[in-house]
Formats: sequence, C-alpha cells, structure tokens
Amino acid sequence: MTHPRSLGVLLIVLWISVCVWGADGWAETVYVQAKTAQIRAGKTSLDAVVGNVKFGESLEIVGRDGSWMEVKTSAGARGWIFAGKTSTSKPSGGNDTLARLGQSMRGGDASATTASAGARGLDKASEGYANRTGVSARDREVVDRMTAYQIPDQEVEEFLREGGLGEYAK
Amino acid sequence: MRNNHGMWTALIALSLTVAGCAEVQRAAEDVARQSGNPRLAGAIHGAGNVVGSLLPIGYEEESSIGQAMALQVVARYGGVVDQPELVRYVNLVGRAVADTSDRPDIPYRVAILDHESINAFAVPAGYIFVTRGLLRQIRNEAELAAVLGHEIAHVSEKHILDVIQRSKRLAGVTEAGLSYATSNPAAFKGVIDGAVKKLLDEGLDQEKETDADMVGDVFAARVGYDAEAYVGLLMRLRDLKGDDRALFKTHPNFSARIDAVQKTIRTKHLATTGVVLQERFSRMTKRV
Repeated sequence: MTHPRSLGVLLIVLWISVCVWGADGWAETVYVQAKTAQIRAGKTSLDAVVGNVKFGESLEIVGRDGSWMEVKTSAGARGWIFAGKTSTSKPSGGNDTLARLGQSMRGGDASATTASAGARGLDKASEGYANRTGVSARDREVVDRMTAYQIPDQEVEEFLREGGLGEYAK
Repeated sequence: MRNNHGMWTALIALSLTVAGCAEVQRAAEDVARQSGNPRLAGAIHGAGNVVGSLLPIGYEEESSIGQAMALQVVARYGGVVDQPELVRYVNLVGRAVADTSDRPDIPYRVAILDHESINAFAVPAGYIFVTRGLLRQIRNEAELAAVLGHEIAHVSEKHILDVIQRSKRLAGVTEAGLSYATSNPAAFKGVIDGAVKKLLDEGLDQEKETDADMVGDVFAARVGYDAEAYVGLLMRLRDLKGDDRALFKTHPNFSARIDAVQKTIRTKHLATTGVVLQERFSRMTKRV
C-alpha cells in the first residue's frame, strides 16, 4: 500500500513535469525566413548582435513587440529578431526533401550547389547548347558575367540601412 | 521461381533507388549483369531512370537549364545594358527582396535587357531580366521591388521548373538528372527550346502569373516596401495600354491583377506604410 504523502509528492512532481514539458513542447515556434539573420540584444537595429541564425533554423518565441520578436535559439541564445525575417511555417526553399532525393540519385551534392558561392562560367550542358544553337560570343559573355555576379552581404546590409529597410525600418 | 527471384531483386533495387541510393542501384545492376542476367540489369537501370525523371529537378540541373534559357533570352532581346552602377542598384534591390523570399538559399542575379518593350522574365536558378522599357515606366524603388518580387516568386515557386518537367516528358526524356544533356544533346535542346517558347511567346499559365503577383508583393512588403506601390504601377500600365490587350502579352489583364494584389494586401495585412524610396530610385536610374 502506498503512503498517501508519497502519493502526493509523486503527483506534485508529475504535475511540475507536465508543466515544464508542456511549456517547452507547446512553445510557439517560428523559422528563419531569410538567408541569414541576426539575433540582437534589444529590439532595434542599433542593438548589439548576440548571435547569427540561418535559413530554416527554428526559434522559440519568448515575446513580441511591434516588428520584433524575442526568441530563443536551439543553441540556447536569447535575443531579438526582426519579425520580417521569420515565418510561422517551416520553409522548404530550394532544398526540399524530394529535390534532395533527386539530386542524390543523380550523384550530385545538393549542398555544394545550392550555396551562393557563385559558379563561374557556363557549364558543359549550357556550353553545348550554345554551340548547337549558335549563340554569339557576346551573349555567352553576358550570361557568364551574370552567373559570376555577386554582391557581398555587407553591401546588401548597408543598402538596407540606407533605405530604412528590413530591421532598419524607422 | 527464377522469375520470382528476379522480380524481387528488381523491386528491392527499385526501393533502394527510391531511397536515394544511386550507388546501390548501380551495384544491383552490376550484380545482375555479372550473374548473367543483362535483362534484369537493364530493367533496374530503366526503373531507376523512370523514378528519377518523376522526381523534382535538383539544383545542378536547374542551374544548367537556367543558363541555357538565359542565353536565349539575352540573344532574343539583343543584349543587356552595360552600366555597372545601375546594374548594381537593381541587383541590390533584387537581393533585398530575395533574401527574405521563400527561397533565399540560391543566388539571384538581375540583368537589364537593352530593349524598349515593357517586360520582365525569370528563368530557373535565379536569372532575372527586366527590360529598359519597363524600368522607364517604374517611378520608385518599391515598384521595382514588387516587379523583382514577382520574378523571384516565379523562381521560388518553381513555376518554370514545372514547365520544364512537362517539356522533358514531351521531349521523351526519361533519364534521371542532367546526363541527357551530354548523352542526348538534341533532347536537351528540345527541352530548352520548348521552355523558352512557353516563357517568351506563349506565357505561363495565368494562375501562375497571378500567384507571382501576390507572392512577389508579399516578398517586397516583408523587407519593408510599401505594398500598395505595385498597385500604382499596374494601374499606370493599364492606363497606358488598356485592359483588352495586356501590356505583358503573356500575363492576365491588368484589372484582374490589380484586384488580386489588393485582395492579398487586405487578407495578408500587408503594410501600406512602408517605404517607396523615390529619390534613391530616381538618382540611380537617371541614365536609363
């Protein structure tokens, strides 16, 4: 026969466990909807960056204030993120499971080709196509340059800052 | 009995193929071949190709298709504008919108076609084109962001890749991946030519264009541009060209597009208090 006091303690422990699990298990989650995003110490673009998160990463919402959300990352960092860089649904992007499966079947490495590292030059297939269709050297050069064209992330950040866009919105 | 054994071998090989094990598929083919059963090896190879052709196009193949289609767009429109500061500006606006799109993990590049017609295109793998004529109609950065958002939406929603999948089936391509581009260049040319014809001459399905309008305006609003700006541009284009003959000959008429965008603004609660950045746009595009 179980002692009533022990049963009471057991029930309290169980209740606390459920509450703790529940708070964690039912916490509202958002996903990073931008290529990269910063977690800041406060809810303005002037506050210090306390962490960086990547596309698709899940974040637990702790609080909200206007266009900003207080979040906790899976690594345990806590801070504010501009809400425009998050989504309530998990983004699939260009790397969804089926596409990865297709890539795997073809023997390619999806992760190596989805990075914006910037391929240079026409690849074999499009070069062959250009030869077959008589595309001029000038037009090949245009697509070649376009393929290699990159703007550093810092310049994009500066552009957003100047325009009062994204997290720099006034 | 032997037939049953062969059938099970093929089924197991097919299952492994579906699970993404290309190496296992090749190994199964080798085993079948070495055990004196070339028909079974052929069946495994064929089954793998059929399954592969039904799977979504991977980025490597998308990139080759995008490059080949981009070559045709540039050739048909007579080249691009060579003004580095202007090109950098439209690319910055494109990056700002693309980075908060639903597919920010691929590179996007924008080129200005040196052509007076009023149009814009996107081909797979993030190659985006805006004509000089369209750029002349745009009055502020928010309108440009919405136009680029529309094109980015075509890429992120994989509208053109859907056309390519159909084009591949029509061209009789059953091989998985890009290998057909080198093993059967005529088929690759057929796929590209079919997709270019659909994009430049016939136009995508009207639902896809409406979808790109709505999704693109959401992308532009996400980064902080005024969501109403796109409505302003569409209204001016309607005034300019009328509604019977859509200015973008490949798109739905302007009134339908305006209604769809306005509905999106209402239902998605998009901010109409965002920035339009007219001064920056005028300064950067004064030589268009």
